[in-house]
Amino acid sequence: MKKRNFSLYIGIILVSIILFLFLLSFVALPYEVDAMDTGNRFAEASRDHILGTDQFGRDIYSRILVSTRSALAVGVTSVFFGALVGLFIGAVAALSPKAVEVVVMRGVDAMMAFPGILSAMVLSAILGKGVMNASIAISFFMVPVFARLSYSMILENGKKGYVKAARSYGVSLPRLLVFHMLPDMLTRLVTQFSSSVGAAILTESSLSFLGLGIQPPGASLGLMLSEAKAYVLIEPYQALWPGVVLSVAVLGFSLLGDGINAVLSKENSRE
Amino acid sequence: MVRYALRRIVSSLLVLFFVTLITFIVISVLPGDRAVLALGIDADAETVEALRESMGLDRPFLERYLGWLMSALKMDLGRSEVYGEKVSSLIASHLPVTFSLTIFSILIASILSLVLGLISERRKGRALDGIIRSTCILISALPSFWVSLLALVFFCGKLRWFPVNGYISPSRGFFSFLRSIALPSIILALGELSLLTRMFRSSLIRSFSEDYMTQCEVKGLRRSRAIIHYALRSAIIAPITLIGNQAAKLFGGTVVVETIFSLPGIGRLLLTAVEQHDTTLLQGIVLFITTMVVLMNLLTDIFVALSDPTIRKGRSE
Repeated sequence: MKKRNFSLYIGIILVSIILFLFLLSFVALPYEVDAMDTGNRFAEASRDHILGTDQFGRDIYSRILVSTRSALAVGVTSVFFGALVGLFIGAVAALSPKAVEVVVMRGVDAMMAFPGILSAMVLSAILGKGVMNASIAISFFMVPVFARLSYSMILENGKKGYVKAARSYGVSLPRLLVFHMLPDMLTRLVTQFSSSVGAAILTESSLSFLGLGIQPPGASLGLMLSEAKAYVLIEPYQALWPGVVLSVAVLGFSLLGDGINAVLSKENSRE
Repeated sequence: MVRYALRRIVSSLLVLFFVTLITFIVISVLPGDRAVLALGIDADAETVEALRESMGLDRPFLERYLGWLMSALKMDLGRSEVYGEKVSSLIASHLPVTFSLTIFSILIASILSLVLGLISERRKGRALDGIIRSTCILISALPSFWVSLLALVFFCGKLRWFPVNGYISPSRGFFSFLRSIALPSIILALGELSLLTRMFRSSLIRSFSEDYMTQCEVKGLRRSRAIIHYALRSAIIAPITLIGNQAAKLFGGTVVVETIFSLPGIGRLLLTAVEQHDTTLLQGIVLFITTMVVLMNLLTDIFVALSDPTIRKGRSE
């Protein structure tokens, strides 16, 4: 095949950049996140502060590095737990009698009716602010996405030959699901997982931007942009780099998802 | 068709029922005594108890839920604890902003992505197709609040094309209203571009490969006429579903843009309710937004069924 999978390559490069920044935040952090250099506020890029400083004279580069920690932590954990619960609900719906199936799936539809940022905001009102609660709030709206996915995949795959074969020699249901159907579903799950991490990172930063996620003096890309907002007409430079890094993260994970999907569907069509 | 519509309506009602249940359960577990919250910490125990009773907080869960549901059906969502006004009138006064934002941005996104999708299809596999597609992906991945900040700096600060702050209601001049809402609408529209363009492109590709397009060519129809009267008519149906669903999503997701551009919409009202722990207001807004989402999706499905002859005549299944 001549056509190259650009989404995959670019996705890998962008995600690697984020992972690299994440690692740097542990091994080569130039300044502490909350170290203030009040004599040096709104400094331009220099040898001491390669991306300049913010309104308190804090080093923007260091704050971006530390922000990737919360972005990745919230992004990955929220999607992981959301996926776990969602998969379970979807599987229950797919394997239950019709009445249960209808009720569960309409419940999932109802969860879907809560726009992502809305449920995250409401849940953060209940749980309070902070990294942990932001993760829980975001995992809530990942649940219906994965529930629908596992529901439709189990129904689809249930008709396939290998499932009938496994059933015919009396495999137990849990074993059938975990050892026979899950490997077949894994590829689409990975695709969805990667795209969802991008969405989760975006939601985390939106929550922090609204003041409901990570709290000052902690560092989050959304929080940095929210702080930059107050001075954006006078000191626009401060809003530049956190946004660039956030865009790289969101774009990277969603391209990675698309790319993996393209590879897998090509392989499937070859079969 | 009637059966299809009825089935969709019944299942939407079921979804709505779950929506009310989820909303009520989730918000009932909000920490903090609502009566204390409304009266302030200094209030004495008797007054608090009296208010608890009048708010019905001492009654069992199911009774409270049914009571709330019944009054919600009568459009009575209670009184906001922070504003002291009726929740329904608060929503009504904030609705025009969010509503116009949603309508404008989905209109801009649809028109733009139809044009881009058409160009992309006509230049399928060539450089321009690739450029359009990758640009759309890039633009849609940019976080709306970051784009808003940049746009604020550039278009409002540097060029002074748009007012920096505030919303101007249509009653104070339609043009000023458009100007105050144009930039946020465009920014929201950009976020939808990638998905919609991709959809228009693929559905145009499908409809251009249909037999009737060859037929058009054979009988010597002008290209523009063939595209407008034949290709577009069938290619537009699939994207309509997506447009409807995205519009519903946008409706609940305008809060960030509203905050940046200081627009007094539902999103800002929601943020206030969250920050101030105004439970009644929060419940009301969440119920309103989710109901709108379900209704918009229902209307989209019915509209699509009406416009698609294969569904309308019941041949799809």
